[in-house]
Amino acid sequence: MISRARFRFDIAFEGIDNLSIDFHMKRNKEDQDLLPGTLEMLILQTLRRGPLHGYAISQYIRETSDEMLQVEEGSLYPALQRLLRQEWVAAEWGVSARNRRVRIYRLTPAGNKRLKREAEGFERLVAGIGRIMRPVES
Amino acid sequence: MNPLSRWKERRRLDRELADEMAAHIQERNEQLMEEGWSAEDAARCASRQFGNVAVQREKSREAWGWSGVEELMADLRFGCRLLARSPGFTATALLTLALAIGSATAVFTVVDSVLLRPLSFRGSGELVVAWERLPFLAENATGPNPRHTDLWRKRATAFSGMVLLQQGARGVAFGAEHPRISGSVTTEPGLFGILEVSPALGRSFTPEDAVPGRDHVVILTYGLWQSWFHGDPGVIGRRIRVADTDREVIGVMPENFRFPNANALRAFRSKQGASSVPEPGIFLPAYVDLNEIGWSGDYGNWVTLARLRPGVSVREAETQLSSVEAEVARQMRLAGVPMSPQVFLQPMQQAVVGSSERALWFLMAAVSAFLLTACLNLAGAQLGRAISRQREAAVRSALGASKWRLLRSALAENLVLALAGGAAGVLLAQLGLDLFRRYSAVDIPRLAEVHLNPAVLVFSVMVTAGATVLSGLLPALRQVRADPQKALQNGTRVMGSRQSARATAWLVGVEVAGCAALLTITFCFGKSLLNLTTQDKGFQTERVAVAQVDLSHVLHAAPKKRVEADDRILSALRGIPGVETAGLVSAMPLEGESWIEELQRLDRPRQETPLLNLRWVSPGYFETMRQRLVAGRFFEERDRDLHSLVLSEGLARTVWGGENPLGAQVRIEGRSFTVIGIAADARSASLKTSPPAMAYVHYSDRRPFATFFMVRGRQRGAALPADLREAIWRAVPEATVNRVKTLDAQLSDSIAGERLQTAVLVSFGSAALALAMLGIYGVLSCSVAGRRREIGVRIALGATRRSIYAGTLRQAYVPVLGGLAGGLAAGVLVFRFVRSLLYGIEGVGPGILVMVAALFVAAALAAGFVPARRAAAVDPMDALRVE
Repeated sequence: MISRARFRFDIAFEGIDNLSIDFHMKRNKEDQDLLPGTLEMLILQTLRRGPLHGYAISQYIRETSDEMLQVEEGSLYPALQRLLRQEWVAAEWGVSARNRRVRIYRLTPAGNKRLKREAEGFERLVAGIGRIMRPVES
Repeated sequence: MNPLSRWKERRRLDRELADEMAAHIQERNEQLMEEGWSAEDAARCASRQFGNVAVQREKSREAWGWSGVEELMADLRFGCRLLARSPGFTATALLTLALAIGSATAVFTVVDSVLLRPLSFRGSGELVVAWERLPFLAENATGPNPRHTDLWRKRATAFSGMVLLQQGARGVAFGAEHPRISGSVTTEPGLFGILEVSPALGRSFTPEDAVPGRDHVVILTYGLWQSWFHGDPGVIGRRIRVADTDREVIGVMPENFRFPNANALRAFRSKQGASSVPEPGIFLPAYVDLNEIGWSGDYGNWVTLARLRPGVSVREAETQLSSVEAEVARQMRLAGVPMSPQVFLQPMQQAVVGSSERALWFLMAAVSAFLLTACLNLAGAQLGRAISRQREAAVRSALGASKWRLLRSALAENLVLALAGGAAGVLLAQLGLDLFRRYSAVDIPRLAEVHLNPAVLVFSVMVTAGATVLSGLLPALRQVRADPQKALQNGTRVMGSRQSARATAWLVGVEVAGCAALLTITFCFGKSLLNLTTQDKGFQTERVAVAQVDLSHVLHAAPKKRVEADDRILSALRGIPGVETAGLVSAMPLEGESWIEELQRLDRPRQETPLLNLRWVSPGYFETMRQRLVAGRFFEERDRDLHSLVLSEGLARTVWGGENPLGAQVRIEGRSFTVIGIAADARSASLKTSPPAMAYVHYSDRRPFATFFMVRGRQRGAALPADLREAIWRAVPEATVNRVKTLDAQLSDSIAGERLQTAVLVSFGSAALALAMLGIYGVLSCSVAGRRREIGVRIALGATRRSIYAGTLRQAYVPVLGGLAGGLAAGVLVFRFVRSLLYGIEGVGPGILVMVAALFVAAALAAGFVPARRAAAVDPMDALRVE
């Protein structure tokens, strides 16, 4: 699992054989993304449960997805910066559970609104894909 | 946070990001330890999984949107530091770029202002100049006879206006002071209507102003008004003396109004030299009395300027004039001159710019070749530096720098150079143009309009950008392509690949080719100038001074008084201590052919009548000019009333063949003369043409135009011009002394254009040669530095010093010889385009080719000597011990 970090996966769908989706081969962010903005959406969703610092966010996503989604730091922090810039999250310095000075992110009302929109879009997308991927009756 | 405050806060934000990431790694570390990892493993794993902190930070910063600016600034800072570390290279590069961009900018400024920019008159595209071409003028053309112009004006419908005008120079004075010279335009009243300008002050000419007796009015240009009247608005209504006529100032033209001077818009189109003439400062109304003008002859230096009706093309108007010209030809036949003149129109811009166009474009090409050489040279030097900095690039690339970033950072150094060089270049150009305008004797039309403007600045910026890319791209690509692993493995050794060696060889080859082409052409111009100056002129210029004198109208009106004034001046001149001889002539030497007449032998009136230049001269003229007597005698005092004539040798041969013309009777201008002498042919009209046919008559019946008094001093270095002016004013205080100069100065001014071209080429050529030498030197020393070990091994194995020298120099053979061959071929090709600018050269001779080749081989050897010696001096022990 650790050695996987050498590959430049944004999010690796684990457990699915031969499906490693490369989000980040190019510096040019979104154009290689399978689902643009997915990571941002996941972060926003994570923050709905309460303010968290960067490492905790990545841990949460990993654990909650049963280790299927792994957020790489190389994507996490740029994504957080983008969210900060859009003012969908706010950050202030606080203290972590391990008593370390960390930057803690929380969802802003604007971020909440955004999240709702994205979630709806995502559901529609998944539904659409699901309809196409229904087992073919021969 | 808005972008601006983010920018201001960027250091804090960056620091926070670093803290946050450090915390992230520690959190993970701690967690791993909690899971039972050893402290060491946990630390390694945590930081490894996080990846390159610097890259992550950079990527996160990107989200803020100004990382581009920040990186550019960092690159520029880095570039500056690199440049500061090698001051020698930087100084050379800056100097080269500044000179190259500066000269390109200066030349382009002239090209832009003179050739590209339309004349500043409203609707200047509709303005045309009409010419007549007469069979005997060969390729030259003349401004039309006013009577022809009058007929065109009556019959042709293609024009909304047409005026006749004459250019000249007049003495202008107010009060009791000596008159000052100013360019003058004598014009029919409609001129300003056609140009669509009106005076800024006062009024324009009205038709009544051209009525004899009521025509004592004058309009001033803004420049003259400013410099002579200090912009006094009360000048309207004041009276000034123009060539001894009191005239009332009725108007002042606006500041931006510039009328072409007498060289730019003249009544005779030929390739002959022109001298500097004053800019037009006064406008006088012209009254053209057609009754006094015949259908043939009487051309009288009139320029016909017209405005086309909107929508009428030059060609249509020309066709219309040509059909009217048939009537002109009929009238001429009736007048006994069976000749059909051809009429043609020229856009005014073209007429004004005329002959300088080809020379200017050529200058532009030369400066481009120089610029290219400079950039290629810089590229070569940068390539060497890039190779020696490969390790740095490899390290940066290994640390996570992207290729694009490396490319930009490598280009940034060149951008710094080009920006600094470009800025210095524009300043240099400005300075150079100022100096040029102030001191040059070359008369370029519209020179007064030449100045740096936005279009030129855009050009400079483009040149600068081009220089950056041209000089930086190849080395930058080279650096980016470096494979980090290989570069780092190679350890301390500086290495150059076969590929980069080939790139360098090409650079040197192209540089040498451009330079060789430039030098070939330079040699051609040098030889042409040499031909001009060393040919047998037929007269001698040393120790001669000449003054142009306008005697006042009053004296002009009475021929007798005029001759008295001439005599007074001549005797005053002969009285100057140290003066050997003195004389007068009716035309300035070396200012082209003028006053062309036909000659008729009285004994064979039916014979064809050759054309000649008529000159009124005094006794002493030939002696002062040191023109040789071939037969008979020159003028003496007794010729005053004898209607004597002296012919040039060529003319005598044309008319009389082998016969003896002395004593023969001829008719010129309807009067009879007796041939008393034959003078040797002289290029006194122009150095650039073969000696013209000349006929000299005694000054006692000369026409009321300017006179040129000349004196020959006994010794070199006497203050002749000052004495000359003094003596003339003492003899005739009211004389206008337009200009006084030595004949040497007149000679050098008459070929000022050629001298300038040659000087510019020589400086570009030698600068390019120096650059090429620098390039060869750079390439060889780089290669020697890279091959130290190899050379050490060779020496250890018994290679002689001689073979090391040869081996080092051999590397330059191919590019230098290849480039040389290409350059010489290019030079021969270019020669065809510049042939018309050269004198006495039919083609690029083998002599020139050999000289250029020899120069190059010598230069290449000299440039290669130092690196070769360095190679031969390699101590094998030292070289092999390095690692």
